[in-house]
Amino acid sequence: MLHIEHLMVKFGGLTALQDFSLKMGIHEIIGLVGPNGAGKTTLFNAISGLVKPSGGRVSFNSTDILKKPMYARARMGIGRTFQVPQPMSELTVKENLLVSQRFGTGKVDEKKINEILAFLNLSRKAGYNAAMELSLSELRALEVGKALATNPRLLLLDEVLAGLEASEKRILMGTLTDLHEKYGIGFLIIEHDIETISSLCKRVCVLNFGELIADGTPQEVFRNPTVVKSYIGSSHA
Amino acid sequence: MSELVLQSIFSGLLMGASYALIGLGLALVFGTMKIINLAHGELVLLSAYIAYTMESTLGWNPLWVIPLSILVVCACAILVYFLVSGIQKNRELNSLILTFGIGIIITNLSLMIWAANVRSTSVSWFQEGVVLGFLYSMRSELLFFAAGLALLAIIWRWLKKSWYGRAVRAVSSHRDASKLMGINPQFTEMLSFVLAGLTGSFAGIAIYCTNVIYPPLGATLTVKAFIVTVLAGLGSIPGLLVGSILLGLGESLTITLLRPSLRELAGMILFLLVLFVLPNGLFGGARRRG
Amino acid sequence: MKIRIVLPLLVVLYVIVPVLWGGDKYVLSLLVASFTIAGVALAWALLGNLGGMVSFGHAAFFGVGSYTSALLSMKLGLPIFLCILMGGVGATLISTTVLPALRLRGPFFALAILAYSQIFRILATELEGITGGAGGLSSIPVLPKVLGYDFSSKLGGYFVAITIVLFFTWIYHLIRRSYYGIALRAMQESEDATRVVGVNSTLLKAAMLFISAFMTGIFGAFNSHYINFLEPDYAFHSDWTILPVVAAIFGGYRSLTGPLVGAVAIYLIDQSIFKNLIPSGHQFILGALLGAMVLFSPDGLEPFISKKLRWGKRAAH
Repeated sequence: MLHIEHLMVKFGGLTALQDFSLKMGIHEIIGLVGPNGAGKTTLFNAISGLVKPSGGRVSFNSTDILKKPMYARARMGIGRTFQVPQPMSELTVKENLLVSQRFGTGKVDEKKINEILAFLNLSRKAGYNAAMELSLSELRALEVGKALATNPRLLLLDEVLAGLEASEKRILMGTLTDLHEKYGIGFLIIEHDIETISSLCKRVCVLNFGELIADGTPQEVFRNPTVVKSYIGSSHA
Repeated sequence: MSELVLQSIFSGLLMGASYALIGLGLALVFGTMKIINLAHGELVLLSAYIAYTMESTLGWNPLWVIPLSILVVCACAILVYFLVSGIQKNRELNSLILTFGIGIIITNLSLMIWAANVRSTSVSWFQEGVVLGFLYSMRSELLFFAAGLALLAIIWRWLKKSWYGRAVRAVSSHRDASKLMGINPQFTEMLSFVLAGLTGSFAGIAIYCTNVIYPPLGATLTVKAFIVTVLAGLGSIPGLLVGSILLGLGESLTITLLRPSLRELAGMILFLLVLFVLPNGLFGGARRRG
Repeated sequence: MKIRIVLPLLVVLYVIVPVLWGGDKYVLSLLVASFTIAGVALAWALLGNLGGMVSFGHAAFFGVGSYTSALLSMKLGLPIFLCILMGGVGATLISTTVLPALRLRGPFFALAILAYSQIFRILATELEGITGGAGGLSSIPVLPKVLGYDFSSKLGGYFVAITIVLFFTWIYHLIRRSYYGIALRAMQESEDATRVVGVNSTLLKAAMLFISAFMTGIFGAFNSHYINFLEPDYAFHSDWTILPVVAAIFGGYRSLTGPLVGAVAIYLIDQSIFKNLIPSGHQFILGALLGAMVLFSPDGLEPFISKKLRWGKRAAH
């Protein structure tokens, strides 16, 4: 479904992403880990279109998406959440989803919206103003909800669990697993917590200094000496 | 024919220093506060009108008016600073509207007090011609060009070397970090307004002595200051000077080679060209895209 | 929309005002002028609120609309109302040259548009062959007779003016509450957040620019056939920028009716009171008003007044 070849992203003199390649099938859940600054969010930005790569190719469902503007990629089925939630704060929770659905799919299906809200445990807060009255985990759920409303085939989740309490994490993780099963969406998940990644994902990619240093099952990857060094090494930095 | 062009270039060059001084004020304020003072040109004009009043009522030579002008205009600039600081939310937008309003006030007050007539200095010493080879200029043009350059050089050096000067540049590039280093951003911001008043009042008198003044000139000068700032790319005084000279040249050549009535067009077109083609100005600088 | 307000308003505008002042040419001209300003204020507020861009050069669209319509009617003899429509189209075409400025940050866009208005003013003066130069155009054809009613009268012009204003207000309202309007407002908070869910933000912003330009052009066109005279310094005068801006800020640029109420209020007060107090330079009061608004009540007079009223009520207990 998603085919990334030799992707390179440079910001002036800094190379954020170097020769990154990945082949992702439909329904896969891939974890993306690496120390801070390794290039994970940059990768998401490149895929969703916030950032223009300096080299390489990305194709989604056999279509070259690098030439397409951000909104077109969203309509093609690439959804994305932001690390710092960016709700449309003048709207209610439900309106946030309605707008996303309207522009991401071209039509409005209120039943589906209610379904998504229920799924994310946001039904109770459907009429609440998005900016003012949501807890962090609810804001995160809203981020996922907005992306879901666009009917994506691929969901890029950027540290959706960061900063949540253990119980909230567990709930959201459960929701994500259910989502995957129910809607058959592929996930690319950035997380820092190794346990979370290991339990959610069957496949993990490790980035360090913009380069892919490992790609395999969680067991393989987290025992890989290079990977271990990158984590320990970075904690000394 | 080419002599005419050379003369044109020479005249445009001489205008450059004044434009640079006017642009500097706008650039400094934008640098520290990230706002555009749409009343800037009016402050310059105010200085010119003060010179006119002193000359016509008390017979003062405009040169002696300079200190008075600086005092008054800087006081006004500080007033504008306090008003702008009073904006509660959405400062970028609201400051535009506020200073727009202040500009309207000053323009109309000028209209009320000094009427719409075109004015200029009648000190003949200024108007006498100086001939260099085949190039002609008014004494005032040469004088204020030299003095303007000197002032620019002094301020440039000061910005580079002095504590306050560095503070101005620090606040421009990173406000919060500068607080950590003991710099008081508010004071620095006010300082940038004072500098704007200083350079602006000098330029105002220069324009009074070399050109003509009339109430709507304020708005025109603000636009020119802005053009020059955009041409220069933010954060570069040499760039500012080059940009100003370019503007002066552009206007001058337009007058000579095309028509005098198209003069303002030159600046506008230069402005739009740079805005769209070279968004970072001629010398690079801050990002202009949102 | 609140029917209880709209219906009486329509009655006032279409019935009461004509009955009371239908014969008073001076009052009618004043009203028509204020409605013209109101229309531009509405268009300005639309661009600001929905498009997120503040313009200091709407005079450009006004002037282009004026000249387009006047010239089409004079040189090609087209039906007047068609010409007015083309005036709007002309302004919209011009606005396409402003498109590159949309990606600039606030102040830069505002001033880029200002540059345009100056450029057009100078072009209008210089292209004498087409525009009649500095002398301008006179004897511009008046509004025609339609279905027996003569719109060239002052009252006729009045009806046309208020109809256009009301129509555009309705359009603004429709856009605002549509999904597009919601997306546009969300865009101002975070354009990326909207693009990531499929909003073509560039297209939407451009559309707002076109609509704002179109509306303004229509008013410029209408105006040229109402006063039958045009010259560059008039058509592109900064007043067509300043007055709508003051009106919109004063009345409250966020609301639908704010700019309209503000325009009528400001223009009438300015013309009847300020101008008589201080014949030359009376607009400085407008500047002061602008400043006061920004500092004390950035959302316009309506919230300011309602705040005071609430306060008063509480104090009375």
